[in-house]
Amino acid sequence: MELEDAPRQHYSEKEKQDIFDHEFMPHIHSMYNFGYRLTLDRDDAKDLVQDTYLKAFRFIESFQKGTNAKAWLFRILKNSFINDYRKKSKEPSKVDYQEVETYYNSDEVDRQITPDLRVESLKDMIGDEISNALNSLDVDFRTVIILCDLEGFKYEEMAKILDIPIGTVRSRLHRARNLLKEKLKSYAQSMGYNKA
Amino acid sequence: MATSSNPFIQADGKKPTCMEMLQSILDGEATPEQKIYFKQHMDHCMPCYKEYNVDMTIKELLKAKCCGGNCPEDLVAQIKAQIKSSAA
Repeated sequence: MELEDAPRQHYSEKEKQDIFDHEFMPHIHSMYNFGYRLTLDRDDAKDLVQDTYLKAFRFIESFQKGTNAKAWLFRILKNSFINDYRKKSKEPSKVDYQEVETYYNSDEVDRQITPDLRVESLKDMIGDEISNALNSLDVDFRTVIILCDLEGFKYEEMAKILDIPIGTVRSRLHRARNLLKEKLKSYAQSMGYNKA
Repeated sequence: MATSSNPFIQADGKKPTCMEMLQSILDGEATPEQKIYFKQHMDHCMPCYKEYNVDMTIKELLKAKCCGGNCPEDLVAQIKAQIKSSAA
């Protein structure tokens, strides 16, 4: 496990508590939301966040004080989700990333998938539609949208959290945005917009 | 003139597509110079202008509607209690 492999810091009990209280706990709301968006279940999200914080405390000497605590915690949560939760639930279909890369590098990249999705119809969506559209994406696509658009992580941070190259972060985000737009477009159509 | 050079052009000289420029903006990776350039570019590129507005609206809606509220209070208390007992 990578946490055990990281160079160890040496902290007093008081320092550990300080790091935990002042560097880890301020991210608990983002962590809970991330847990919820991954598991789509409030109780599972609570368990996942609790496991993550207990692990973070147990391996606190693998964390270098003053570095990016939020990215470090998100990475632990994501790994716990993959190792503990994803196995338990039905195995989601694997995304064909080769296909994604091919798509991204093709001449079709400037093709507009959703030319008739309009700002006005998006603004009439009351909230459930956008949330449902996000939740309906494959978990790998959902994750990059959460990390980028909800949490504001940069490519480099996302690459570390997800253990994938920056180029893959970029292409996965591109594909995720298009899939999300396709979902929103069908919601907009069902609401009576864009019938032309 | 400085304004006529495209700050999205990489070291290898490859000219970026509209989609590549838009993605850098959406993903929060564009530099201030690139943002200014893209804003000027949108003045004469209607597809980029439309796509940018739709994409930014989605991004704002996601942020506004999917951040999901606060973590339950009992969870915060539980975690603190477990940490306290494991540290003791």
